[in-house]
Amino acid sequence: MKTPLLTYITTYYHNHGRIPRYREMLAATAYKSLSTIKIKTDELVEAGFVERDDTGKLSPGRRLRALPILGSVEAGFPSAAEEELIDTMTLDEFLIQKKEATYILKISGESMTDAGIMPGDMALVERGREAKNGDIVIAEVDRKYTIKYFIKEGGKVYLKAGNKKYKDIYPEEELSIAAVVVSIIRKY
Amino acid sequence: MSLTPSRPQLSIGKYPRAILHIDGDAFFAACEQSRNPALKGRPVITGSERGIAASLSYEAKAAGVTRAMRISDIKKICPDVVVLPSDYETYSILSKRFYEIVRRYTPDVEEYGIDECFADITGLRRVHRCSYPQIAAMIKRDLDRELGFTFSVGLAPNKVVAKIGSKWQKPSGLTAIEARDIHRYLSKLSIGDVWGIGTQTSAFLTKHHMHTALDFSYRDEAWVRRWTAKPYYEIWQELNGRHVLPLNTEEKRAYGSITKSKTFTPPSSEKDYVFSQLARNIEAACMKARRYDQEPTEVAILLKSQQFRVTGLRVTLSRPSAFPHEVIDAIKPAFEHLFHSRTLYRSTSVHLLKLQSIEKSQMDLFGGHVHVTKMCNLYDAVDKVRTKYGKNTLHLGASHKAHHIDQHHGKRGELAQRKHDLLPGETPRRRIGIPLFMGEVI
Repeated sequence: MKTPLLTYITTYYHNHGRIPRYREMLAATAYKSLSTIKIKTDELVEAGFVERDDTGKLSPGRRLRALPILGSVEAGFPSAAEEELIDTMTLDEFLIQKKEATYILKISGESMTDAGIMPGDMALVERGREAKNGDIVIAEVDRKYTIKYFIKEGGKVYLKAGNKKYKDIYPEEELSIAAVVVSIIRKY
Repeated sequence: MSLTPSRPQLSIGKYPRAILHIDGDAFFAACEQSRNPALKGRPVITGSERGIAASLSYEAKAAGVTRAMRISDIKKICPDVVVLPSDYETYSILSKRFYEIVRRYTPDVEEYGIDECFADITGLRRVHRCSYPQIAAMIKRDLDRELGFTFSVGLAPNKVVAKIGSKWQKPSGLTAIEARDIHRYLSKLSIGDVWGIGTQTSAFLTKHHMHTALDFSYRDEAWVRRWTAKPYYEIWQELNGRHVLPLNTEEKRAYGSITKSKTFTPPSSEKDYVFSQLARNIEAACMKARRYDQEPTEVAILLKSQQFRVTGLRVTLSRPSAFPHEVIDAIKPAFEHLFHSRTLYRSTSVHLLKLQSIEKSQMDLFGGHVHVTKMCNLYDAVDKVRTKYGKNTLHLGASHKAHHIDQHHGKRGELAQRKHDLLPGETPRRRIGIPLFMGEVI
């Protein structure tokens, strides 16, 4: 319920500690008559932003008192302030979960193109995380890094490419997983 | 384990204090192997830009390579060695991560070196719900897994014994030495292998028939206090199971001294060039001092010849200063005195000593104040430009030659690989602060 009148009253209340008079409201808003102001304030009374006593005088209502005070504002709705930004995260935090274990690499092969991972893309990978079935991982095969799906089926593990032209890789001994992919970055 | 030792115990109990010493195994070489599978299991050394081995992998050690060996000699005894230029940027990032992982378990961490730290885990058994050796094992597990190479850990009642523990089984060892068992380890350790006991002291103690660390520990306290200096008395106490050396857990907010040193190849006997190398080190050292709002009262300069002979002089400044042009002027006579035109030099270094904080320092009496204020503003701006555009964009004329002649002439390929493999948007001056996996990812 963001009417221009409520905005004005809220700001006025925070700056002056009282509710403006009807005449003041009339002067500060686009409404043309006192009776319109009366109708509009009735709505605000109904909604609990202001209260009207027996003499018809207005005083701050429950909801007006509960609004956060965000510094002093000249006009309009309170502007964005530090308080509103507390619950935001940086792009770093968004892409990286475990900072100390995160590494970056550049992909050169085409083995994951069906998964949307193209040559030249960069991957953020996490070391020491246990690979789960279906994760995209960086494995060490023949002294090289390779990016593949990690598949665990009935106690057997193997690597599957996201590209039909590539064959599955079954490890002869232990499968060496260097890291698990957590984000893909492409810069244009 | 039988509890009837043939020699008397030095101490009783298990861990009156629980101190860890954690040491990266072949740190620089391991950083390289951990990010490039082509290097795993192969002899690797770093330091090609300096012409000597700065760090060597265990495979290289097994082939008989030792630290500071010349690369030309190494290739003779170990033909399949992989020689890499140092990538200090990556090593530093991994070093910071190493400390951060240890700090997950305890806030009391002393960053002792790029590849080692001490940590106090006393009283944390309840928090982590396990014993001290188990906490040590958890830290080691995290480090090994997340950094991709191994660490060696020593757990003991104090720093000196913890250091013995981390060296006991290398690589990838975890040695927990309870106070009541210290003597068992010391009987197998020669006195010169104790942390802090150098060749001089070791020779002195051997003369008094102390060959093992245990022999020294058994000496009576009065003798040790009478015949050795304070640091050795402290070591003696720790060997006896007491905890006397505190952990310096404060993050580096200020320095006692600042050192900057750089090697260049080929060695040079050109006076201007060597001086400009020295000037560059002074600039770098002063920049660091200013960053911590400190300035030196004394400055020492050292020149190292191709034969590794070091000559140096220390000068006292008329007033403290962290402005390179003032420091350079002040040390110029010392340089003139040290420099011999027939000597080939391979490195220069500068030590800023007796650092004090800038607020405390006195201004020069006669009009010095105005002069100094101007300088502050100027160097503030210089530092800002450097932060924004890279640390080598602005420098003094005195160090121009050092900045514009390749540090390792004719060795362009000796730049760290990371500085060639730039990601989109990176420049040779600025890169993402995340280690890069090397080689092709197919």
